[in-house]
Amino acid sequence: MPDTFLKRKNRIRRTAEDNVISVIIFVVMALVFILTVYPFYYCFILSFNEGINASIGGIYFWPRKFTLENYEQVFSNKQLIPAFGVSVMRTIVGTLLSVTFTGMVAFAVSHKYLIGRTLYTNMMIVAMYFGGGMIPYFILIKNLGLYNTFWVYIIPALFSIWNCILMMNFFRSIPDALEESARIDGANDLVIFFRIIVPVSMPIIATIMLFNGVGHWNDWYTTAFYTRDKGLRTASFILKELISKANLTSITGADNTSTAARAADAAAQNYTAESLRMATMIVVVVPIICVYPFLQKYFVKGVMVGSIKG
Amino acid sequence: MARMNATAKGGAARKRPNNGIWFRLRQQWMLQVFALMGVAFMILFSYIPMVGIVLAFNNFKPKLGLAGFFTSPWVGFKWFREFLFDRQFWPIFRNTIVLSLLKLAFSFPIPILFALTLNEMRMRKVKRVIQTVSYLPHFISWVIVHGILVSFLNSSNGVVNTALKQLGLIDKSIPFLSSPDYFWGVAVISDIWKEMGWWAIIFLAAIAGVDVTMYEAAIVDGATRMQRILHITLPAIRPTIMVVLIMSLGNLLGGGLGGSNFEQAYLLGNSSNYAKSEVLQAYTLRVGLENGRFSYAAAVSLMQSLISVFLVVTSNFVSVKLTDSGLF
Repeated sequence: MPDTFLKRKNRIRRTAEDNVISVIIFVVMALVFILTVYPFYYCFILSFNEGINASIGGIYFWPRKFTLENYEQVFSNKQLIPAFGVSVMRTIVGTLLSVTFTGMVAFAVSHKYLIGRTLYTNMMIVAMYFGGGMIPYFILIKNLGLYNTFWVYIIPALFSIWNCILMMNFFRSIPDALEESARIDGANDLVIFFRIIVPVSMPIIATIMLFNGVGHWNDWYTTAFYTRDKGLRTASFILKELISKANLTSITGADNTSTAARAADAAAQNYTAESLRMATMIVVVVPIICVYPFLQKYFVKGVMVGSIKG
Repeated sequence: MARMNATAKGGAARKRPNNGIWFRLRQQWMLQVFALMGVAFMILFSYIPMVGIVLAFNNFKPKLGLAGFFTSPWVGFKWFREFLFDRQFWPIFRNTIVLSLLKLAFSFPIPILFALTLNEMRMRKVKRVIQTVSYLPHFISWVIVHGILVSFLNSSNGVVNTALKQLGLIDKSIPFLSSPDYFWGVAVISDIWKEMGWWAIIFLAAIAGVDVTMYEAAIVDGATRMQRILHITLPAIRPTIMVVLIMSLGNLLGGGLGGSNFEQAYLLGNSSNYAKSEVLQAYTLRVGLENGRFSYAAAVSLMQSLISVFLVVTSNFVSVKLTDSGLF
């Protein structure tokens, strides 16, 4: 670590230039911090503020009229509740199956003595750089009968070449002796993979699970183009629809008039399209915020290995 | 194989288990099954669509199914001509190129600057917090970013417009989201906001790997902090910078590192900023999946791939001429 050394040294001889740079750096970093965190904080406070009250604007730092109504509305919404169910299901099932499938392929191809290994890796590299584009892919999905089924979320996402390469790099660093001793004891490859390899590979598995899980949770594209049924809608897709609608109304300026009109005829209702949107956004973002900081030390390593060897 | 033949010739060797290919295959059959699962997946979901590119040259009939890739009537370059002479061609082409180049010019170098700056920070705890926070936008979908942009930039009660008005800097709201003039700016800035911290990870890791003795020697020689950054850190991480540059050039028309061109165009784009927001990928999707013109859309998509290859080859040529180093 270079900075420990610098820190020690600079305690003795810190020049004026040093101090100026330190101040500039601090200011820049503070700005980065605020610019990153404030947008989330803003949505957070707005989701706890009465919608009608918030539509006047001028809320910057804390809720002006605190309420839990927005969340009550979100959690009793007939569209959102099943959508969260679909999102949770596809995230859990999709992530577990994808990590298992990709991991098994990576485990096999990471063996130097595997016959056809060069062919398999070359196939991966070609498929990583070239693709047919979204049109042939869409026709394929339709003809496979995956269109408009729950499995369209799971099966096409089973295998990821990028994740496979990350896992192969990790598996290669595991000492061969570990696997060989299990083989001598009569374990087959399936047992070796699940009993020996998976437990010692938790860092990379955690990383891949995070990437995969976030991908499933955030995906709106599959719902929009590969499904039709309302029952297959995910939370991300519904949120996308809500926000697109808001974007359109903000152009025509209809948002303001409609909220005002609604305020006039239904005094009992204090939430607006905007406040519901904020609450939904927070509900969608919170699981991610709760998970990723704990996996930080793993994915930092994962990204590095992938970018340098991939 | 040679080895198997050799053992087959020697009579005594027949008693020993040989190392022939069939024997080895039988021994590793389960591993082969694992590997072939991946191969089957790639053939199905990567290679069959690759073959499907041919539908850019025919008039694909959906009812023919996958066989229709080949059995649909052949039309040659009809769809390419149609797109090239469409009056939408030029704006879409220009938007794709300009947005991609703007992202290459800003979204690529800014993570390097961020990593260098963060590395110079002395307060370790603060540094860690900032780094953790800077990853957050990467894990958030463009849908959420779009939601944030709408609530910050909309012209009726957006935070930015309200604040600027209260400060007396403007009298009328700025139509950030509904005027073509602002789209490129909003797209590039939001792209930087989302991916800066994530791509800085790689550069920070590279900086951490720089030999400490170089800094020690530089301090002894009286190098200032600025000089140490410019003459030690930057040259030391140059290989990493090249790798990341290659990666972002590879997906240049998709929007570089973050690959954000499509989602920005599709989510942030609307009828009033369409002239500056539509890009090839989003257009492919709209005419292909939404209007069902599969072959035409496939031709547009193939054109994007070809332009992409052309750009990578050209930039490589320029790079070789100017710096003597290129990708190939």
